[in-house]
Parts: sequence; structure tokens; C-alpha cells
Amino acid sequence: MKDIVSNSIHTSGLPLRPQLSKDDLIQAGGLVLLAAGLLTAIFLPLYVMLSKSFQDAEGNFTGLENYSEYFGTPTLVTSAQNTLTIGVVTTVLVGVLAFIYAYALTRSCMPMKGLFRGIAMVPILAPSLLPAISLVYLFGNQGMIKEVLMGQSIYGPIGIVIALSFWIFPHTVLILTTALSMADARLYEAAIALRASRLRIFFTVTLPGAKYGVMSACFVAFTYAITDFGAPKVIGGWYNVLSVDIYKQVVGQWNFQMGAVVSVVLLFPVVLSFIADRIVQRRQIALISSGSVPLEPKPDKKFDRIMLAYCMTISFILLGILAVSAYASFIKFWPYNLNLTLDNYQFDLMDGGGWAAYQNSIIMAIWTAILGTVIIFSGAYLIEKSRLFSRFRSVLQFIAIIPLAVPGMVLGLAYIFFFNPTKFNIPFTGIELTNPFNFLYATMGILVICTITHYYTVPHLTAVTALKQMDSEFETVSASLKVPFYKTFTRVTFPVCLPAIMDISIYLFVNAMTTVSAVVFLWGPQTHLASVAVLNMDDQGDIAPAAAMAMMIVYTSASVRVVYGLLTRGIERRTQAWRRRESVD
Amino acid sequence: MEQEQKPYLQIEQLSKMFGTFKALSEISFEVFEGEFICFLGPSGCGKTTLLRCIAGLDIQTSGSVIQAGKDISVLPPTARDFGIVFQSYALFPNLNVRKNLAYGLENRKIKKAEIENRVQELLSLVGLPGHEEKYPAQLSGGQQQRIALARALATWPGLLLLDEPLSALDAKVRVHLRHEIKELQKQLGITTIMVTHDQEEALTMADRIVVMDHGTIAQAGSPVDIYRNPASEFVADFVGTMNFLPATAITESNIRLGELEIELDNSAVKMTPDQKVTLCVRPEDLLLGQLSDQPSNSAKVAVEGLEFLGAFYRAQLGMEGFNDLPLTIDLPPNIIDKHEIKVGAELAVIFPKDRIHVFSVS
Repeated sequence: MKDIVSNSIHTSGLPLRPQLSKDDLIQAGGLVLLAAGLLTAIFLPLYVMLSKSFQDAEGNFTGLENYSEYFGTPTLVTSAQNTLTIGVVTTVLVGVLAFIYAYALTRSCMPMKGLFRGIAMVPILAPSLLPAISLVYLFGNQGMIKEVLMGQSIYGPIGIVIALSFWIFPHTVLILTTALSMADARLYEAAIALRASRLRIFFTVTLPGAKYGVMSACFVAFTYAITDFGAPKVIGGWYNVLSVDIYKQVVGQWNFQMGAVVSVVLLFPVVLSFIADRIVQRRQIALISSGSVPLEPKPDKKFDRIMLAYCMTISFILLGILAVSAYASFIKFWPYNLNLTLDNYQFDLMDGGGWAAYQNSIIMAIWTAILGTVIIFSGAYLIEKSRLFSRFRSVLQFIAIIPLAVPGMVLGLAYIFFFNPTKFNIPFTGIELTNPFNFLYATMGILVICTITHYYTVPHLTAVTALKQMDSEFETVSASLKVPFYKTFTRVTFPVCLPAIMDISIYLFVNAMTTVSAVVFLWGPQTHLASVAVLNMDDQGDIAPAAAMAMMIVYTSASVRVVYGLLTRGIERRTQAWRRRESVD
Repeated sequence: MEQEQKPYLQIEQLSKMFGTFKALSEISFEVFEGEFICFLGPSGCGKTTLLRCIAGLDIQTSGSVIQAGKDISVLPPTARDFGIVFQSYALFPNLNVRKNLAYGLENRKIKKAEIENRVQELLSLVGLPGHEEKYPAQLSGGQQQRIALARALATWPGLLLLDEPLSALDAKVRVHLRHEIKELQKQLGITTIMVTHDQEEALTMADRIVVMDHGTIAQAGSPVDIYRNPASEFVADFVGTMNFLPATAITESNIRLGELEIELDNSAVKMTPDQKVTLCVRPEDLLLGQLSDQPSNSAKVAVEGLEFLGAFYRAQLGMEGFNDLPLTIDLPPNIIDKHEIKVGAELAVIFPKDRIHVFSVS
């Protein structure tokens, strides 16, 4: 080999800078847009809110004064304690119930697993207001079976915990089913060969294997429990929690500063739980090895029957709670006139926005689904598959997960602070800026942006998972064939990821239909929403119409899901023919 | 390979850092037009990184890449001229074979009929005519890899890059495809670089092998050269099987191995008396001698173990006055039978002086 005396500039001290292709420039542009979007949708509003918590009503900086006022008000501090109590109790209750349910789904040979899996997901279709309304019908002052509570009031912690458990159940089951289905059969065979008892195997193999899933499920349950607004609003009675406090401070007393302070207080445990969950999930990855043999449960008559009975009981409760609202919505005047009627569906005769609110919700959900899917999937694609800018991309990857740590109430309030003022004062400079986003205030636009932001993380992770499963060399091959990346995106990435993309859009649609917390501060006279209408009608004592509207949301989410299911199957048959392996010679 | 030709690809002083880790260190070499080059080395030696620098997938920290006289050092992959095949095939799963092959052609304003002609031409080139309607999932691994190869060749690239293309295949298919790829490459005369960790693959396919170690080139040369005249202990160890024996230099052409004095033809290292060296000799290069007469470079040994490996036996030998030294010799079965060699038998082995390599102990 000859020694070549290099005459080129490439041996100078600085590292070489890659020359950018058209593809790289487009990707860079997309990434910058995404960063700017996320910055505007998350960080600026949160920053403004945070700064408000250090200001008085006139906008003067007052340091920690608001905080000392907060901690000097016993009722407010009590609700912080209440919130934690609700969080812990709900987490334990729903954790245990969901674990056994998920265990039955993954480790027993009981029949009708698919059906039970489906029933467990039903609460997702409803706003968290619905179980609370049902509980009022069941155990309220004129409740159908209020004797069961033996004199205890459903209005308060008991009601909140039950309603939240109903509503959080599907999320927990989902995580635990995944965790429990990742078992390695070889470990169980080894344990049996060593003659370990069933109980011992459970504690030495099953639990350690699902450890991280259980922890993750607990963090999710805890976060949902302490941040939910719908359930405590309807059934909390005098038992105050932080999310309701934010609402009361802002909507009841117009004390925006205190609302901001309570938001920061609520943000703390959520962020801690978020960080803990991140740490746990990072560890979980190492547990799955490619050599694992999937565990197939073996039939055991007695065990399977117990599990079946358990799942039937839980399913009965889940469907029962839903059925109570459905039934109540057709009753003339509970409990005095039990005639059936459609009067409760005459929303236009009541406050809360009428049928227009329902229509707005659907429009909002469609926009959220379409825009959200486009933004989230393209964003995930750019983050995952761009050729260069790896550091920038990993920062974006992290930012995309942050919405998970921002409670809906907090995000909503931050949006008021950010979008409402016509002018901003830049701190310490005296410069005044016209707010370029003010035009969005009280429009459909802000509702859509807020909802997409609020629910950004889960679909983003779905998209990332789907993209990670694609061969990382598709982009390289395309580049070598001189095909621009966006062509490969539309011809290969998009069709291959279509199932995941559909999952994302339905997730966004259903959440946009059911969400209350993020949008409760943001609707305007022209943009009433169905879920907010449920809240307002309930507030005014129109509980049957509230149940009716809540059921409209359930019917809509459910039918969209069913139509989607059929559609997906149809589309898959036509476009996904390549997934079927026919003859391999 | 005739080296009078102009180099097609020149790598000059190429280094690549990942943070503080130096993945490639001042790599320089040339590839000639129509040559088949293999980057061979253990995992982590930098061979894939080097390929990725040539393709523009990773840009080197310093140094340059010149292809067909043009400096392409910092160009993006889209601006370079290469076709690439990966271990994973990377065939687009939702496109059938025809669309996969036409993928790069459709973007070049070529007439439909011409594209179809090219597709047919490519299919017959890789021996899979009639498979154009099938989806990748309906093909076997070997067929998928052939389609991936055809796709890489579709747009008439000047350089073909193969990244461990055979590693995912069954042993039988691998041997078969090895031969086919080599034939195809010769027929098309396309300059080709293949990355592999499989020495057999490199030895059978390459015109020239570049053995890499820790981000540097350990040796570059023809397969025969690499195997017969390894330039370092690393190459000697990585390619083929080798006996490593500690020895001491006596003069420039004599070394002492235990009680044995061994004469060398020529040594790669300049030896000074009493210098510690390593003597290397391949098991198949050792010769059987007569116990009765003692030719030079021969030692008396006892058979301590005998391993049957199909085509030959590998015998573990114990040398007189040289305990616990692993010395192995490969012998054909008929020799074993003829001399009735079994465990415990005494033999004489000859170290042929032209087959001995000596490296200084670092």
C-alpha cells in the first residue's frame, strides 16, 4: 500500500462538516418547525404561568408572597393532603384490581379473554364525569342502593376513589397485560423443575418479571388520580382536591395568581412521578431478550374458574356503572317519576351549550385526530429517521415526552395566561410585545392545539415504536437510489405504519371527545363542548341531562371505534396484502 | 490484481471519532476499478464505520474520500454514486419485487417500457425471473438477498457496497450465494467493497482483503498473501488457525524454541540476539518426519490428543522439554491410518523454514 501524502484540506484540526443535501435541509426545517411548535405549545405557556405565580393581580413581582399565602390558608393545604390521599388509595385499589384482571387475561386459560379485554377498555370511551354521575345515582342521597354504604356518604373521598378507579382501570390493565405477557417460559420451566410451589413461583418469578410494569402502572394510576378534575368536581362534595381548587380559584374567584400557585403545587408530585416512571422504563428495556420463549398458560380448572368469576364480577361492575348512566338518561325524574323519556336529550332546552356543544366536540375531535396525527407522526418520523442533527433530535425526543407530566388543568390555565393577554412585557427590559397568538383565544383552534399538546406523548411513543420496527436502512437504500426521503415516507413508511397511524388518530379522537380538564378554561361562547356541558349541567343540578350528554360521548366514541375497526380491517385487506406470507420456497 | 490501473476510490488519512472514542485512525488505501475488496475484522474494529464513511452515512472527522477523481468527503449519500446491500436486505415490505427493483429508476424520468426491460434484465441477472409480482415476505432469505442485490445494481452505480450481506443466511445458502455474488461482480466488472467478519467469505470472494483492528489497517493484500504471510500476530491469529510459540532470538536467522534451534528463511522482524519473539506456524504447515534421522528444524513430540474434524485430524502434541505448550498439527486421515498414529504415539515434526513466521513480542 502506497503512502499518500494528503494535500486536501480535510486533515486540518476541525472536524469535517457534512454538506447538507436537499433532504437534510427539508428535515432540518421540519425539525425546527416541530421544536418551535412544541416550544410555543408547552414551554412558553408554562413559563408564563410560572411567572404569574410570583406576581400580584396587577402583574408586579412579589416573590414568594403568593406561596406563603397559599401555605397560610389551611383549607388549601388540606386539599393538597387530600389529593395525595386520593392518589395513594386509588393507586393501591386500582393497582390490585387491575393486576388480578391482567393476570387472568395473560396467565389463565379462562374462556372469552378477548371479550374481557374489550370490556376492560370501555371506561376509556367515557369522560371521568360519567362514573361520578353514575355513583350519584347509585349511592347518592336518593341512590338506588345507597344502603350498601352503611351510612357513609358517597360525596367525598369514597366517591372520588371509586369513580377514578373505574376511569383509570383500562390504562392500568393495558400496562399490566403488556408486562405480564412478556414472561419467559424457560424461567417457569426451570422453577417447576426445581419443584417450587405455585405461590413461590409467583413471588420469585412472576412478580420480579412484571416489577417494572407494575411500578409503571402505579405511576400512571397515581398521576391520573391526582390530576383528574371531572370525578372530584361531580362527586367530591366538600372534600377538596388540588385540581378542583385550581378551577375554583380561577372560575369561581377570578384569582388567577392563586390558580397558578395551586397549579405549581400540583405539578410537583406529577413531575416526580413522571421522572420515577422514566427511570423505571429505562430499566425495563434490558429485561426482554430475543431468546425468550413466550409463556403459554396451562389449563387449571379451579384456577381458571376463579379467574373467570373475578373477571365477570369486575366486568359486571364496569358495565353496570355505564348502564346506570345510560338508564338514568332515559328516566323522567329520578326517583319520583320512573317513566322513560327522551326529554333529557333535549339539550337545546338547557344551559351548557345544547346540541351545538356536542357538534363542536365532534368537530374538535376530528380536527384533533387529523392534525394531531399528521403532526405527531411526521414529528416522530423526523426525530427517529433524520440523517443528521442527532443531538437536536434527542432533545426533541425528550421534549415530546414532557406533556405527559403536565396535568390538563395546569396546561389549560397556562393557555389562558399565554393566549389571553394582548401584550406581553418582557421581564426586566420594559419592552412590550404584541401577543401574536391572541387571535386564537376562545376559538376552536386553541381547543385543538391544547388537546393535541395535552395528549401528545402517548401517540408519539406509539409512532416511535412503529418506526423503530422499520428497517433503519430503508432511508439509506433510498438515498443510494437517489430517491428523496419524502417519497420513501409516502410510499413505504406511511403504508407500513398505517395500523399505528390509525391507532394514533382514534386515540386522539376519543380523548378529544372525553377530555374536560384541559379545555374547561378554554371554551368560549362559540365553542361549547359536550364534556364541559356535562360538567355545567351537573353543576346546575340537571344531572339526568348531564348523564345523557355523557352517554352521547360514549356512544360517539364507541361507534367511531367500531367503524374504525371495520374500516381498518377493510383497508388492511386491501393495502396490507404484503403482510401475508403465502408460499415460501 | 494488476496495480497499474488508476485507483477508483482513494481513502486518505481518514479518522472518525465518536465522542472521545477513535473508531478509525488515519486510514489510507486505494481501491482499483473493478476490484473486489473485503474489509475483514472482529466486531468493533471499525470496518462498518469505514463503509459508512464511504457511503456518506457517517461523515469522517478528518481525512478524505475520493471517488472517480472527485472529492466526495463531505457529500451527503444522495450526492454519491453507490448501491448498497445490507444484512437485513432492507427490501420495502409493502412493494412487490418489480416495484422494489424499479424504485430508483422511477425517479429518473426513464420510460416505463425501459424500466420494465431493466427489471427483467435484473431479475435474470440474479436468476429470479418470474418473481416480479411477489412480495418480499413471500421469498426465502436467499431470494430476498438476491433481489436486494439486484435493486442495488438497478441504477448502474459505479460502486457496490455490501454490509455483511450473507450473515443472516443459512450456511448452505451462504456458500452458494458467495459464489454467485462473486461471479456477478466479475461479469459486471463493478468495483465492490464488502464488510464481513467471516474470514472464509473474505478469502473466497475478495481480490484484496483489508484486515482491520482497532480502527487501523492491520494488513492489506491478496487472500493468499494474508493467509500465508500475515503481517502481524493479530492477522495471524484472526485469519486461519495458528500455533503461537514463545522463542528467543539467537542470531538474525536463528531462534531457540525450548531446546530446539530453528533456522529461518527470512524474518519480518529485525532480530537482535536474546530478543523475545513469537514463532508462528500453521497446523497444516507442520510436516511429519522420521524419528530415526533428525533433520534440521525437527522436534520429537508425543501425541496427547486427537480430534477428528471430518476432512482431517487435529493432533495435540507435547514437545520434549517443553511442557504445557499447545502445539497442534493437522493430518489427513489416511496418514493417521498409515502411520497408526494414536494418543501416546511418538512422532517427529518438522518446522519448514519457509513456513515459519516470527514476530517480536511487544
